[in-house]
Amino acid sequence: MPGLFKTEAVVLRSFRYGEADRILHLYTPDRGRIGAVAKGVRRIKSRFGGRLEPLFRVALVLHEGRGELATVTSASTIHPHARLRERPESLRRAGQACEAVLRLFDTEEPNAPVYNLLCRELALLDERAEAATRAQALAFRLKLLLAAGFAPELAACASCGEREHLGAFSASAGGVVCVGCEAGSFPLDRSAHEFLVEALTRPLADAPAAPESALAQADRAIAETLEHHAHVRLARVA
Amino acid sequence: MSSLSPPVNRLITELSRLPGVGQRTAQRLAFHILRLPPEEALPLAEAIREVKEKVGQCEVCFNLAVGPRCRICEDERRDPSLICVVEEPSDILPIERTNEFNGRYHVLGGALSPIDGVDPEDIRIPELLERVAAGGVREVVVATNSTTTGEATALYIAEQMRERSPNVAVTRLASGLPVGADLEYADEITLGRALRARREL
Ligand SMILES: [Zn+2]
Ligand SMILES: [Zn+2]
Repeated sequence: MPGLFKTEAVVLRSFRYGEADRILHLYTPDRGRIGAVAKGVRRIKSRFGGRLEPLFRVALVLHEGRGELATVTSASTIHPHARLRERPESLRRAGQACEAVLRLFDTEEPNAPVYNLLCRELALLDERAEAATRAQALAFRLKLLLAAGFAPELAACASCGEREHLGAFSASAGGVVCVGCEAGSFPLDRSAHEFLVEALTRPLADAPAAPESALAQADRAIAETLEHHAHVRLARVA
Repeated sequence: MSSLSPPVNRLITELSRLPGVGQRTAQRLAFHILRLPPEEALPLAEAIREVKEKVGQCEVCFNLAVGPRCRICEDERRDPSLICVVEEPSDILPIERTNEFNGRYHVLGGALSPIDGVDPEDIRIPELLERVAAGGVREVVVATNSTTTGEATALYIAEQMRERSPNVAVTRLASGLPVGADLEYADEITLGRALRARREL
């Protein structure tokens, strides 16, 4: 159905294309991940200016032709995330957030919670330099897992339902496991377990702090869950 | 296509590999070349052969060069204590055209983009850090593109230089309004930076 449509979007990634164009990977609240062409955007006097650079949150009008990619016909800024671009650590974390969304949600299936989560994460990294931490990045990933329907079981043993002696994590079982069900698992300290529970339940902006060793275990638990259930391999959030 | 002879097909295929050239344009160019007399068509083939045989990379700055060093690195009048860092050799040309820069260059060969798997070792950042650490450099001007990846690259270079060569100044090309453009079309980041970098009249 060719024609114009409007949408909000976060620009996740952009490639040079042709003489002066770019191909954009956009994440939208009601169309999921879509691709679009921004014509002439690399020219200094393009009317889009910098608005279609990665990490911009924009309101777009797109034209959908018969081809696979829509064409951007107008763009206005909702949030430029200008401050995070000037802090290497914040910029790096913002890039990791976009990459996770890009790899985990790569279809046109809409997922508004994911869009809102990404917007909140970018706004947070922009507002607060001190939000660019490993703990915060892990909390974001964990919430993405929840939005994707892969949140690990944390309240009871994922294999037998036991509520005590939960000292290990198994991605194939789907969460924490007890001493009796440890096969194929790795040890998960109490502090790492608490971090996962807290990070999942608290608001994104209140990610809990935890010792580095606990964060490393939480990172592994999240990464193995992603690999096992979503078949997505992401770089660890060191 | 099958009605064309193999050499003609081959020419069309090769032309269609060029950026911005589609199948139809490639056909048109091929028929144009076929109509030309040999003395007008062959210089193109010769020119391609010559650049591929003679043009390589400058061993100092990775600009295009005939021989071991590029013309800028060989020019004694250019200030070796001032290095301008660019993403691609094609970025040198517009800077040269300004007549505002009399230093040397360093071509990275791309920009950092972890999402695309481009890390510092994949572009010539280690070579830059080494070149600066070897001494004789007073300022590094980072002229990577004003894109998210270009900015990330600039920030990374600044961080590394602070650590390894703290006495060398690292500067970044200013962002601002393009001459001849209307204010109302400027994006928020460009305009915000232009405001912060305003100057007294
Ligand atoms: Zn069990
Ligand atoms: Zn050179």
